[in-house]
Amino acid sequence: MKKFLVLLIIPALLLGLMISGCEPEEVDPVDPVDPEEPVEVAQEIAVAIGVEPENLDPLKMTSAPAATVSEHMVENLLYLNEDGELEPALAVNWEVADDGMSYLIELREGVTFHDGEPFNAEAVKYNLDRFMGKGEFEGESPAVFGFLLGEVDNVEVVDEYTIRINMDELFAPLAFHLSHSFIAMHSPASIDALAEGDDITAPVGTGPFKYSRWDRGEQIVMERNEDYWGGAPEIEEATFKFVPEGGSRVIMIETGEVDAVMDIPFAEIDRLEAAEGINIVYEDSVRNIYIGFNMESDLFKNNQELRQAINYAVDKQAICDAIFAGAYEPATAPIVPAVFGYHQAGPYEYDPERAMELLAEAGYEDGFEMELYHPTGRYPMDATVAETVQGMLAEVGIQANLSTFDWGTFLEVINQENPDDAEHDAYMLGWGTVTWDADYGLYPLFHSDEWPPASNRAYYANEEVDALLEQARREMDPGVREQLYAEAIQLIWDDAPWLFLYNQVQVNAELDRVEGLIHHPLENISVWDARIVE
Amino acid sequence: MYGYILRRLLLAIPVLVGVSILVFSIVRFIPGDPARIVAGVHASQEYVERVRAELLLDEPIHLQYYVYMSNLLQGDMGRSSFTRRPVTEELFERFPNTLILTVAAMGIATIFGMGAGIISATRRYSLFDNFTMLFALAGIAIPVFWLGLMFQLLFSVQLGWLPSSGMETWKNLVMPAMTLGLATTALIARITRSSMLDVLGQDYINTARSKGLVERVVVYKHALKNALIPVVTVMGLQFGTLLGGAVLTETVFTWPGIGRLLVDSILTRDYAVVQGAVLLLALLFVLINLLVDIIYALLDPRISYGTQEVD
Repeated sequence: MKKFLVLLIIPALLLGLMISGCEPEEVDPVDPVDPEEPVEVAQEIAVAIGVEPENLDPLKMTSAPAATVSEHMVENLLYLNEDGELEPALAVNWEVADDGMSYLIELREGVTFHDGEPFNAEAVKYNLDRFMGKGEFEGESPAVFGFLLGEVDNVEVVDEYTIRINMDELFAPLAFHLSHSFIAMHSPASIDALAEGDDITAPVGTGPFKYSRWDRGEQIVMERNEDYWGGAPEIEEATFKFVPEGGSRVIMIETGEVDAVMDIPFAEIDRLEAAEGINIVYEDSVRNIYIGFNMESDLFKNNQELRQAINYAVDKQAICDAIFAGAYEPATAPIVPAVFGYHQAGPYEYDPERAMELLAEAGYEDGFEMELYHPTGRYPMDATVAETVQGMLAEVGIQANLSTFDWGTFLEVINQENPDDAEHDAYMLGWGTVTWDADYGLYPLFHSDEWPPASNRAYYANEEVDALLEQARREMDPGVREQLYAEAIQLIWDDAPWLFLYNQVQVNAELDRVEGLIHHPLENISVWDARIVE
Repeated sequence: MYGYILRRLLLAIPVLVGVSILVFSIVRFIPGDPARIVAGVHASQEYVERVRAELLLDEPIHLQYYVYMSNLLQGDMGRSSFTRRPVTEELFERFPNTLILTVAAMGIATIFGMGAGIISATRRYSLFDNFTMLFALAGIAIPVFWLGLMFQLLFSVQLGWLPSSGMETWKNLVMPAMTLGLATTALIARITRSSMLDVLGQDYINTARSKGLVERVVVYKHALKNALIPVVTVMGLQFGTLLGGAVLTETVFTWPGIGRLLVDSILTRDYAVVQGAVLLLALLFVLINLLVDIIYALLDPRISYGTQEVD
């Protein structure tokens, strides 16, 4: 009996020990409140996002959540605001040389990094060289996103607060690329201090917030930078919590445990809209979702009618309404409207009769079978959308056989260097034009040099499109560039190498007591202008 | 006894080597290119190849295993390909969280499961018994995911008693431990009940009763100890399962434990972390099994590990 008791007591004791190991609830000493004084609201803010950043090192970052957290602590030369305009950040002025082959950039003076080191031209050169694997970092691995500066030859220090970026070849969207959150300025001293093989996990930048701590799997906490060059933010402490389950994020905002959440599940929108004190925020995204056709397959090669027929056979509006609670918009181009260079070419209106006619013209009046590959859990409701598309195609006699993959497998399966090895006829994918410039949304996806293992996974090739995209990349006049992209987009649209589906829209929520949160189309939430009002 | 423990510990070595070979090969048989996943959909092929070389993925598998094992013996489990941090750091940050949750869930399951099982057995077919067994059936059948969300709606949104997620104070532990422990509570209740009923029907219990002992003594002193052997087995197995299998609970309550780390790592083909986590869980499983066997000996003097009996 005693032994039995011991058996029961041991787990109980262990439990007690462990709980006492948890941090005790912090109780602030209560100050006597003067009734005359207005009650101060704690300026602390918490935001729940779905995914934890993989890394906070510019060399290794790849995701929007990493950018969201990082940009509070480290800043870029230029900032792309939520309206798609470039603003000065750590650069105050930038000029393109007449021949377009160099950029002279004037830096902000009197800025210091969080570790007290000065921000100057040397620091910028250090960061850009590290990002590109050039200069003193020659031979070292460039950043995953190093291609953003792929056309840059070198960075030159002109004087303490001026740099010149010399180009290898003409590249019009460079300024947009410099605003990309992954090309942020870290204190060189903090990077030098890293142990061999270690990445930056505690960024030391110039931003409005300083790194405080990273509880892995749970949250990143930042504190206000009192010496911020743009004036210290009102928020004293900002926390980004990582909550993978959408239902749990909704519950957290309902209980007030967080002040804002990203990505509300579509099924919860109605309920939250009815809830008091919570606002739903709809914000554009730069990502669109499509089903690419394997243009080298027997089915789709040289068969424009067939590809267009599929575009007419799928009711994009119904998908947006039924699956995405009306938040998403049917695609009208291969890039979203907010991106520079957008041209409205569509939509392909839902027209099953037209689809049948085109099928007959293509010689498939009796329908056909196709292999449609799609990921699950990568994009909102991706598998549901694939099934819906399958049902709509069946209406016009097309039998789409679905193959579902987890993201890791999917990427490998659709990335066939040799089109003959590809077993799929079509694949579902998304693309975010994160630089907000059509070059990034079109060149990697439609230029014939970009076939897998690069990103043109439809094996699309059109000489006219190639020429337009190359020209637009080198054209420095924005007006002319827009025209070139309009032409290219129209050609692509009519060629229909994709089933153009829809543009994503972010559905976030925030509490009434928060003001000034920035919901950004690049799938970020920024808190530096926010304050808590009660 | 000590000789037995030592022998069992030594036997754990080939088990762990076997596990390491198995998991090492299995993760590599899953389709999906880790280098591409690490680099992301936007990265250039050149970069992907660089990552592949860095992760030694272009080497033959036996060479990869050799490098892995020789590093492991020096306490180096490699780096996560996703976060690029040492695997040991990742595991030791998460493991205590998992242990807290599992011990709490097992504590709940032991106290309530055994209690309910004993009362049910002694009051067979009573209202309490029927209710408990119905509850036990439901406890095993209810999906953890749904239960967790319902708890959150009730205790966080409606009543406002408990925080819905995170792990700042003991309050954060209550709902995840209840959610995780429910199925085990139900299981232990059922096993305890049937095992107790079995024992209560034995002759020596009738003897004890006919000696005139009070029922309490009969149940707790004579019956329970013998009824506990299958219960302890189940508890040991459950403890091991909960350690690695709390993924859903950890996800709903944003509890940063090993289970979630393991599943996330499988999805990102983070070989080093998967290997490390599975190896750690295997080691714990071996240790728990050993502990269960030792507890057998304490419970049942007929079981002896010290000497070999010869007929």
